[in-house]
This record gives sequence, C-alpha cells and structure tokens, in this order.
Amino acid sequence: MSAPTTRVSQDILRLARKGRIVFTVSSYTVLAPFGYVLFALTYALWRGDELLQMRRMQALTAAAYRFMHRWLHLARITRFDVATKLEHLPEGACVVVANHPTLMDVTSIIGLLNGACTVAKPGLYQRRLLRGVLHGSGVIEGAGDNPMGSGRVMDEAVERLGQGFSMVIFPEGTRSPRDKLLPFGRAAFEMACRAKVPVVSVAITCEPVWLSKEQPLFDPPMQTPRLTLATLAIDDPARVDYDSRRLCQVVEGRYQQWFLGQGAQEPSTVAPKDTR
Amino acid sequence: MTDKTDTLEDDLKTMIVETLALEDVDPQSIETAAPLFGEGLGLDSIDALELALAIHTEFGVRTKENDENNRGYYHSVETLAAFIRQEQGKASVPGA
Repeated sequence: MSAPTTRVSQDILRLARKGRIVFTVSSYTVLAPFGYVLFALTYALWRGDELLQMRRMQALTAAAYRFMHRWLHLARITRFDVATKLEHLPEGACVVVANHPTLMDVTSIIGLLNGACTVAKPGLYQRRLLRGVLHGSGVIEGAGDNPMGSGRVMDEAVERLGQGFSMVIFPEGTRSPRDKLLPFGRAAFEMACRAKVPVVSVAITCEPVWLSKEQPLFDPPMQTPRLTLATLAIDDPARVDYDSRRLCQVVEGRYQQWFLGQGAQEPSTVAPKDTR
Repeated sequence: MTDKTDTLEDDLKTMIVETLALEDVDPQSIETAAPLFGEGLGLDSIDALELALAIHTEFGVRTKENDENNRGYYHSVETLAAFIRQEQGKASVPGA
C-alpha cells in the first residue's frame, strides 16, 4: 500500500475510534442518571445489616464495572478480559496495591476482585448523588489537603479490613507518568501492618497507554489499548515486623524492578513471590 | 533572639530525621523554608501523623485533626516552628 493510502486508512481508523468513544461517552451521559437512581433504590431497598449491605453494594458495583469493560471491549475501545484471574489472592481481607497508569485501573481491579473498599477524593465523595452509594459501599472519604486527616482514614480502613473487606490503594497517590513510577506513600502499608493482613501487589499495564495524564479521553492511540492485570507478589507484614516503612520499601523496590524490566517481561509471566 | 529561633528550627530538623528514620538525610541539609511534603523532603501523610505525635510529646503542642490550616502549618520547618511558637504563646497567656 502506498504512503498516502496508508495515511488515509489511518485517518479513517482514528475517526472511527473517536466516533466509538463519542458514542460511549454519550451513552454514559444518558444512562448514568438511571444507574445512579438504580443504585440509590437498591441501597434503600437493601437497608438492614450494614455489613451485608456493603457486600451487596460492592458486588453490584463490581458487576457494573465488568459490564462497562465488556462494553468497551465489544466496542473495540479497549481490550480487557474481565474473566482474568488474579492469582494467589488470600482467602480473607488484604490490601491490594497497584501502579496506576490509566483511569481504568480502579474499575478493572474492583471488577476482578468482585468488590472491595477504596478511598475516594473528598470532591467525589461529597457529590450529592454519589455520597449515599459510596458510603453504603464502604468507600472511605479521603483526607484531601489536610495532612492530619489521614488518621481518620487509617482508622476507618483498619476497621474495614477487620470486618473482612479488602482495600484497594494506589500508593503513588495519582496516575503514574508514562516513563516512571512516582514515589510510594506509606498509607497502604500502614493499614496492612495495623490490621495484620497481607499486601497483594498487582501489576497493571496498558499498551498503548490511554486515559493517562498524557493521553486524554479524546486523543486515543491508533491501536486499541490492551489492559492487563496480574499478581506481582504477596507480602505478609509479619516478615518485616509490621514496620510499614520497610514494607513500603520492599514493595516499591519490586515495582521499580518490574517497571524497568517491563519491556522484556510481561506481568502475567512474573511468578508471584509469597514472602509468608 | 536569632539563636533561639535557630534552635527551634534545628530541633525540628533533628526531630524530623529521628522520628521518621530518614537514614540518608542530614538534619542540616533540610532547608528551613523548603516543603516537607511532595517535591520537597518527600514526606507522606503517615509521616505527618508521626510528626504531629512527636511535636505533641516534645513541645506539648497538639495538632487538631480538623484544623483547615494544618496544610499551612506543616508546609515547612519554618511554618512548623511558627505554629509551635504560636501555640506555646497561647498556652502561656492565662485564660487563653
């Protein structure tokens, strides 16, 4: 094929992809209010035992996320297998940490876990339509700009872990830049040490990257982005005498190693290292 | 006055390094006006809690959890020292 023909077909492909994205965003805008109402109704009708309600709401949220990813897959906007198994997950509660290349990380990881608690930014948590549902699902309101607010967040997270819920935390605190991982915060590891539960490290890749800070929604790459999640390691905090600083260093070091070798080794082939 | 000012700032720098076990950091290398969090010294939210506890133990100054000025107080060694002086000043005024 000649160069101009290739360029034209690439332009058509890019236009088609943008069309699908516009369609998906429009669908979301139209359907989201119905979804919020459905969640609110479900929340109201399932009132009763608070913990049972949390589990049900989390399962419902996870199912909604899986549906969304199936839709994105069918529309060839992204490729993500919602049947992916995160291997070696512990039976009970755990703190799941992950790198954060795209906006799809939260939905994909919670979809695969079939529900978990997480920490939401105060701006999101305070939205009138979402607040009840997030609270009912066990989502914890983040500390925002207040450096002392993390004490409350920590207490609530440890309580959730004690109730048997898993927590999903992105220790970089925001989306990872394309070429590096940001320094890890200690909160996730402190939770695990206080609650005495394992830390499950999940490696996320998105190739080519999309919905990152550098690659926004309406600037999709030519190829369909493929999202993969895999267990990188499981760490028992007892091995570091429940020292969150050391635990953070161990996990962050492993992620850095994985990130550097990512070009040569896919995360699915990295053998999980159980340090228990 | 200058000596007294420097002493509190220096004490805070030493406290930060010791409390947070910053093995590779020399207290003297911490710039008084540099941010403690993020791009500065790189402390995180858990470090802030530990620091607040140490300040309470060492200086008798309690950091209120819901004070909207906390971010400003904990911005740098300089602002932290000003916060401690302010709270100690209040405590020394009868009826304050």
